[in-house]
Amino acid sequence: MEPTRNSHATLVDLLDRILDKGLVINADLIISVAGIPLIGVNLRAALAGMETMLKYGVMKDWDERTRAWESEHRKKVEITAISGEEIILEMFGSYYYSQGIYTAWRMGRIYLTGKRLILYHPSFEEMLFETPLEKIKGMALERENYFTGKERENLCLLLESGDVVRLHALDTLKLKEALEQRMSTLGLGWEEVPGLAAHDERTAIFLSQGEEVICSGKMWYLMSPRGIMAESWKPGHLYLSNKRLCWWYDFEGKVGFEIPLDRIVGSSVGTRDLGTALKGAKVLDVVYLNQGGKEVASFSGEGLSEWERALNGIASGKELAPAFEIETCPQCGQEAPANELLEMGCRYCGWVSPRLKRQLRQSALDRATR
Amino acid sequence: MQYSDEKEVAPRAEAVEEHGRYLYCVAASGEKISLGKIGIESKEVYTIPHRDICAVIHDCPAEPYQSDNQEVVKAWVIAHQKVVDTAWERWGTVLPLSFDTIIKGETEGSAQRNVQDWLEQEYERLKSKIENLRGKAEYGVQVFWDPKVIAENLTRTSSEIRKLDEEIRLKPRGLAYMYRQRLENLIKREMETKADECFKDFYSRIRKHADDIRVEKTKKAEQGLQMIMNLSCLVYKDKYTELGEELDKINRLEGFSVRFTGPWPPYSFIEGA
Repeated sequence: MEPTRNSHATLVDLLDRILDKGLVINADLIISVAGIPLIGVNLRAALAGMETMLKYGVMKDWDERTRAWESEHRKKVEITAISGEEIILEMFGSYYYSQGIYTAWRMGRIYLTGKRLILYHPSFEEMLFETPLEKIKGMALERENYFTGKERENLCLLLESGDVVRLHALDTLKLKEALEQRMSTLGLGWEEVPGLAAHDERTAIFLSQGEEVICSGKMWYLMSPRGIMAESWKPGHLYLSNKRLCWWYDFEGKVGFEIPLDRIVGSSVGTRDLGTALKGAKVLDVVYLNQGGKEVASFSGEGLSEWERALNGIASGKELAPAFEIETCPQCGQEAPANELLEMGCRYCGWVSPRLKRQLRQSALDRATR
Repeated sequence: MQYSDEKEVAPRAEAVEEHGRYLYCVAASGEKISLGKIGIESKEVYTIPHRDICAVIHDCPAEPYQSDNQEVVKAWVIAHQKVVDTAWERWGTVLPLSFDTIIKGETEGSAQRNVQDWLEQEYERLKSKIENLRGKAEYGVQVFWDPKVIAENLTRTSSEIRKLDEEIRLKPRGLAYMYRQRLENLIKREMETKADECFKDFYSRIRKHADDIRVEKTKKAEQGLQMIMNLSCLVYKDKYTELGEELDKINRLEGFSVRFTGPWPPYSFIEGA
């Protein structure tokens, strides 16, 4: 009998070891939360689910598996799905998975083959994402403040279906170059669509019915002390909708602050020192009513004066400020509101987004067939 | 939107501070080297050496990795294991740490110093653990039985059960019910005895091929099977085939099956090694 430690079948065995065992270190030296072992804090909850899943799902065919183990482990793990296709590029990467309320960066290996772009999870032998190259109609690079605090590049792809997919790779630029090169070789056309990067899936998650985003942008939020964490600036996105002002916490992937519009009292931009390193940064203070008193939420980011104007407009009961998200035309570089660019094209040079092109083509076809 | 570059960098600088050191394992090498971006969330993993041992780490904020998201946690745990495996392959002997062990540090560099001081102070203890584990790996052995098959066999082989079973056939209905209860209890007792015997027998057979053994709690099994023993075995890397052969013999017994996993880094044998 040969031992095995491949893929799903031994994940529980791995967890038994990795979570409870190993070298013990003097507790003074390591991070703990109120003396509770870290793993107890909340990983357990997620992992309990995982164990159940493994037991009822993967382990269901347990007996069969036992018998198949010996022959199985000898087989070199290879991706049968791409056998016969030339692998042009292979690197570690992830893609932003979002469905309903469930979102996550799912990690795996990115393969660019002669025909397809694939994200594959070797440990779980699972295809996370794949697309034939000819379905890729648009690309854009997006810079994002990842929760680790580093800015990183994502590759946004517009697919024929109209879906936008966000990928991140160990070397995103290299991936994009290789992808472009392969697509050129195949004679496939695509467009640079910077507007893609502005495409925001988060809103789909937290917006309620009839709620519309009026403006949005990357924004740091001064989070009040929580547990052992001191007051600190957290990266996220601020949204102003026709119902509320809310801030999406990138790190936790959820709404971290929100107030209904009628509770906004006013806002002001001031200059403040952020930490010791940065003196005199601009901060937007939003004053709002909260259970009997006024409170202040502080934000820092781009376009603070625009935000101030919009929020004060709301506080004084005026009409909501129009959308002001400005994007540059990918062709001529002229600035125009993002929605105008995407829905009507560029009024300076006549550039039209692929999605709009498709719509136009479709309606032309409809007319022709009628 | 007048917003200078300098100001835009502001809050980011605050978040970039990576004052913690995520510790994967201690390895048997004094090499100072980067293992590349193979860590959790593709962090760069490198070593902090002291004499002939080193800590394998990555820089991180002094906050625990926490998430309710299964996918994320899975990826973290697997990344952790991949790093330990890489170090293990490269240097032969490692002392792995459990997930989310992060050395504290209040300012830049202080966590680094903490790691160095810790290696220095604990050098003798760590070194002797490494020596004790040199050339060995951990294997998981779980023995299951199918209670139905075992009960049937017991009914055939135990004279007491057979006698009772025959008596039931001769009894009128009401009495037969009572007898059947007695029979069930008897089978249950005999099975417990049998499990004990099996445990002792298998343990002594497996013990011969292992340098050390930890008896773990048995867990629930699926498919109507029962786990009757759960062991972590410390075995010389070149000796696992002998253990495998012994397990084959157990696996071939009617109603028994064996799960053999590994090689794992010696997680279960660090304390006490």
